[in-house]
Amino acid sequence: MSRTLRTTAAALAALGLLTACGSSGSSSDSGGKTTITFWDNNAGPARTPLYQKLIADFEKANPTITVKYVGVTSAEVAEKYNTAIASNSTPDVGGVTTALLASLTAQKALDPLDERYAKSALNGKIAANFLEISKSASGGKGLFQLPSSGNQDVIWYRADKFKEAGLSAPKTWDELFAAAAKLTDKGKNQYGFTIRGGAGSGFQVLSEAYAYSGLTTMFDAAGKSTVDDPKNVALIEKIAAQYKATTPEADVSNAYPQMLAQFQANQVMMVHHNLGSTRDVKTALGDKVAGFLLPAGPDGTSVLANPVDGFSLFKNSKHKDAAWKFVEFLDSHEANSYWNQNVGQIPANTEAYADEWYTTSGITKQAGDSLNSPTTKLVQPPVYLPQYSKITKTDAEPNFQKVLLGKTSAADFAKSVADAFTKAQADYQAKNK
Amino acid sequence: MTAAAPRATGRVLRLFLPLALYLVFTVVPFYWMLLFALRPAGSTSLLPWPLTFEHFDTVWNGMGFRVYFQNSVWIALLTLVFVTFFALMGGYALARFKFRGQRAFLLALLCTQFVPGAMMLIPLFNIFQTFDLINSRWSLIIAETTFQLPLAMILMSGFVRNVPVELEESAMMDGCGRIRAFLAVVLPLLRPGIVAVGSFAFIGSWNNFLFALMFLNDPELQTVPVGLQTTIGENTVDFGALAAGGVVAAVPVVLVFAFVQKYLVQGMSTGAVKG
Repeated sequence: MSRTLRTTAAALAALGLLTACGSSGSSSDSGGKTTITFWDNNAGPARTPLYQKLIADFEKANPTITVKYVGVTSAEVAEKYNTAIASNSTPDVGGVTTALLASLTAQKALDPLDERYAKSALNGKIAANFLEISKSASGGKGLFQLPSSGNQDVIWYRADKFKEAGLSAPKTWDELFAAAAKLTDKGKNQYGFTIRGGAGSGFQVLSEAYAYSGLTTMFDAAGKSTVDDPKNVALIEKIAAQYKATTPEADVSNAYPQMLAQFQANQVMMVHHNLGSTRDVKTALGDKVAGFLLPAGPDGTSVLANPVDGFSLFKNSKHKDAAWKFVEFLDSHEANSYWNQNVGQIPANTEAYADEWYTTSGITKQAGDSLNSPTTKLVQPPVYLPQYSKITKTDAEPNFQKVLLGKTSAADFAKSVADAFTKAQADYQAKNK
Repeated sequence: MTAAAPRATGRVLRLFLPLALYLVFTVVPFYWMLLFALRPAGSTSLLPWPLTFEHFDTVWNGMGFRVYFQNSVWIALLTLVFVTFFALMGGYALARFKFRGQRAFLLALLCTQFVPGAMMLIPLFNIFQTFDLINSRWSLIIAETTFQLPLAMILMSGFVRNVPVELEESAMMDGCGRIRAFLAVVLPLLRPGIVAVGSFAFIGSWNNFLFALMFLNDPELQTVPVGLQTTIGENTVDFGALAAGGVVAAVPVVLVFAFVQKYLVQGMSTGAVKG
């Protein structure tokens, strides 16, 4: 091969590489068509195909609007949104959970939706409690997210093993601990319960504590946190006492993936998670698994509100009307029902509550009824506090591990969380007078 | 009993037992990955039986890993080419020329290694946005090349120093120019260095997650590490897909190491220690 030929071949190869690595181009308006960008905040094999179907349906019904889907994983979505805000490149519309809402509204990245919702055909059809959770999450400054799905803590249990042992689904925490003891057989590597000691343990143990104590608010009238109330502390002590007695030793560092893996592998008989794992546990265990809501304590029960999923419009969007149209479509009866049926969560659109899949869904309907009942004592976690994530994750998680390992007491743990919340709340109120 | 027997036992205890334990420690996670990738969902068997390739089908065809894999290959290969090319030039200059501020320059190169990629995210994002490179694979190639080049140049300069300068001088006395002498005499002797630097560049680029997540939006442009992350949702995790995706992500790295390990060990000892 001559040198010229070799040089030409190399140049062509380089050109090929350049072409292969070229930009895919950005969205723009052309030919009377509007392109909006939508960021999915929890992309994955279970959810992405659902959105792709809904987007196709939307584009068919709205031929002048094209939706560009961008899937972002839940673990990275906060970083992705923050980078986009800092670099002025936010999408038109994005999936936002109430856990993230405070941070985005604090950065003034979102467009208020109160007026749009008031004029929308959806007005009055979105569950009131969901709207309340959403507004509370943004610090009561208005509606910045249109809820689409609700979630609720549930305890998945092995219905087949319970039946074999002559047990029924526990209604109180004491019944739960008794069932866990009965189902534990360490010789067979079988445990009655599992504790979340790793990532996410802070929120989980708080939701258990409030379910037991029945307290209705996170702060008393004086602005002091109720986390260290003796009733909450009593439950945390009871939970910690289960560690290694009715739970695997590895629980101290386990997050939900490990807990669910143990549950699906027949190693634990009960696992506290939420409706988000419905599909996973049903696929793995079928009819062998059932769920119940968090049991009550001696003084009744309360529900610590889970993050509500929904959609927000971004302030920088140049196509807010088209983006809102897409949000309205996603929250319409048909689309919202389809979505929630497939992810096993509670629809925000109340028209879906009459759908057959929902009325026969068992634990999903039970959780939905509980969440939407006016008699339910719904405790709003103060996600609007800038320090919320630090308090419940960065600080609380390692401290809860110390409780499990016997290095600190449940009372001290609860006090440290309560003190941090009290201070953060005082700071927040001082800044937002 | 002969004297050789206690010696053999001692050798087993001192050498083979720790190695075997270490091997178990290393191999078990890989076995776990293969087990979950090859057994059906919901199975609790400790053996990948009945064997299934459904998870590979899910990730490769259903989750778009075929596209992610192609993207990762292009990006990693181009990063390898650019890093190696510029490291050769820079490393040669550092090794063969004395210039004012050389020590300060070397120190600056080293200091760049202390800056985490996450810190540079927003400035890089703004730069790429200005040049319309967001959502282009070039953003990753440029960012990766930039971040890997300093260490690659330092490593390469060590390799170049180990090539006797007299060889080049002889070639030049025979009529070669500097470039010709470099290409004909030095470059063939730098093979271990090229392999070491190239391997690091390839693997570093292959594994990069943060830049791909931030600079690319279009699913058709995404890379394997970002695809892998999508198997873990907020409330769900598909262990079969996660493990199969892990195998897909690990195979090129394992192959690279298998082919280049001889050069890599030689290169590391030459460039890093003596350099």
